[in-house]
Amino acid sequence: MKINPPQARQREGMVKTVLLTVVMAVITIIMFSKGKIPQNTKELIALILTILFANTLFFLMVHTGKTDRYRAVYFSTFAVMLIISFISHMFGARGSMSLSEAKVLQCEVPFCHLVIPMTLVPMALTKTIIFPGSLIGGYASIASMFVLWIGATLALGRGFCSWGCFYGGLDDGFSRVLKRPVIKKINPKWIYLPFAVLLFVVLTAAAYLSPTYCTWFCPFKAVTEFEAVTSTKILIQTIIFVSLFIGLVIVLPILTKRRTQCAFLCPFGAMQSLTNKINVFDVRIDKEKCVKCKRCIQVCPTLSMSEESLEDGRARITCMKCGKCIDSCPKGAISYHIKGTDVAGNNNAYRLLFLFAAFLFISIFSAHIIQDGIVRVLKLITTGSMIL
Amino acid sequence: MQGFFLGLSNGLMCLAYCTPVLVPFMLGEGRGVAHNFVALMQFLAGRLAGYLAFGFAAWLFNVAVLGRMGPKGLFIGILYVIFSSLMMAYGIFGREMPCAVRSIDRIAGKIRIPLLIPAAAGILSGVAFCPPFLLAMTDAAAGGSLSYSIFFFLMFFAGTSLFFLPMPFVGAFRRLQVLRIIGKMAAGIVGLYYFYAGMIAVIAGIRGA
Repeated sequence: MKINPPQARQREGMVKTVLLTVVMAVITIIMFSKGKIPQNTKELIALILTILFANTLFFLMVHTGKTDRYRAVYFSTFAVMLIISFISHMFGARGSMSLSEAKVLQCEVPFCHLVIPMTLVPMALTKTIIFPGSLIGGYASIASMFVLWIGATLALGRGFCSWGCFYGGLDDGFSRVLKRPVIKKINPKWIYLPFAVLLFVVLTAAAYLSPTYCTWFCPFKAVTEFEAVTSTKILIQTIIFVSLFIGLVIVLPILTKRRTQCAFLCPFGAMQSLTNKINVFDVRIDKEKCVKCKRCIQVCPTLSMSEESLEDGRARITCMKCGKCIDSCPKGAISYHIKGTDVAGNNNAYRLLFLFAAFLFISIFSAHIIQDGIVRVLKLITTGSMIL
Repeated sequence: MQGFFLGLSNGLMCLAYCTPVLVPFMLGEGRGVAHNFVALMQFLAGRLAGYLAFGFAAWLFNVAVLGRMGPKGLFIGILYVIFSSLMMAYGIFGREMPCAVRSIDRIAGKIRIPLLIPAAAGILSGVAFCPPFLLAMTDAAAGGSLSYSIFFFLMFFAGTSLFFLPMPFVGAFRRLQVLRIIGKMAAGIVGLYYFYAGMIAVIAGIRGA
């Protein structure tokens, strides 16, 4: 079957786009600057660049009707800037990326959202958060991450994994390196592995009161922080997380053009999938328009589109709402949708509502990290060091 | 608590295997939630009987075999490695678990009293020689005392049984195939954990010998 190139169906006119971008610009300027103009030149440059970067991408998303293309640029930039900012912060604060036992005992370990599934059961049973981080204040506090997670979950469901997770941009970025996948066939049963990992880590965390996923599996320790190798056990843990990072975050995304870490390992992603059930937005397929060309199945980075999805008219529960299937559909049959409304309804309005919530979340969540990353890069250029 | 959590991590898979046996029985009887609950209790009682018998057998194994071997760490480690490898093979590489409960169809025809069918299914599921069960038996035997073995299996029973509680409200588990896949994968990951524990025990045993 001959397939026409994807149509940019949901594009908006210039006037509407400018109006929406102005609203977004006002909000982002206030949020990014925290209401004051930085005195430091590098910080001022970073602020201006971040505002321009965010609002240009938002403008393009609204005007061209393409979601995933511009989201991916922002998302990957966010991940890269996090690494730059985090690693140089760690070198500034500790002198290395490795975590000493003293820092663990002093509860100075930055908290990240991937730990959340492991903390919930022990928190209910023991009223204790099983993570050596600071509750309020300090670097990446537990309370702030919980608030962000709850907000993002209510607004986006598993959309968090494409619009908020500061690691997801890495395998998303690597999955776009090649034009065509080298490995084309993946058994769809692997999409259930994150649920098994979730079950395992929740149970072991409850049994041993320890964040087992962070200790043993988290691949992102390779680009943030890790325990200093002082024993055979830590050496084994290091080999595991480095292998997972190279395999699932770099090599397999390049070869398969899928987000393999997010789709086949991440327990947080599995938990977020369940929140898709209560989230107001979903991705729906208009069966009247669908010609079953299966392009959406080919491009979905998490195997959330299947022939069953086409029959049901909806993506699987694991959908991250990245918008790739929507961008690629030649008939405009796939769209963001608000639950309880007509699938063939005002899709442009649904998309804009989703975009506004999702983009506002990623831009506010990432603003400080991107600005800090730019400041450190500028410092590297001018002084040869990234440490502030 | 290790028995409880081993049970919890394998319970989903047990559920996926036992539900096709129990649900048709419950639906076939069609006497409502209260009757289904009684059937479930019969099933769980049968299952508990099987588990307790195995707790006793694990203790006997410890007395008869492990107790005469001197330091038993190396042997336990080897058993861990073998059973966990089996569990990973079943869990990750898509092999079918050898669960005895699947033979209930053949046996049910020979049982004259229908009320005993759930109990028979429970006993069969309680004496299954699936890899998670063999691992649980090794764990129970490693403890040494009769009370430990019995308590271990009691907790293993409690952990696996939690998943069965919503079963009287049949219809809650429409996606059994998905549950089975997730359960098997979780068992595979638990196998990975036991494989690591087994390797550590083997290395420690070799160093000690």
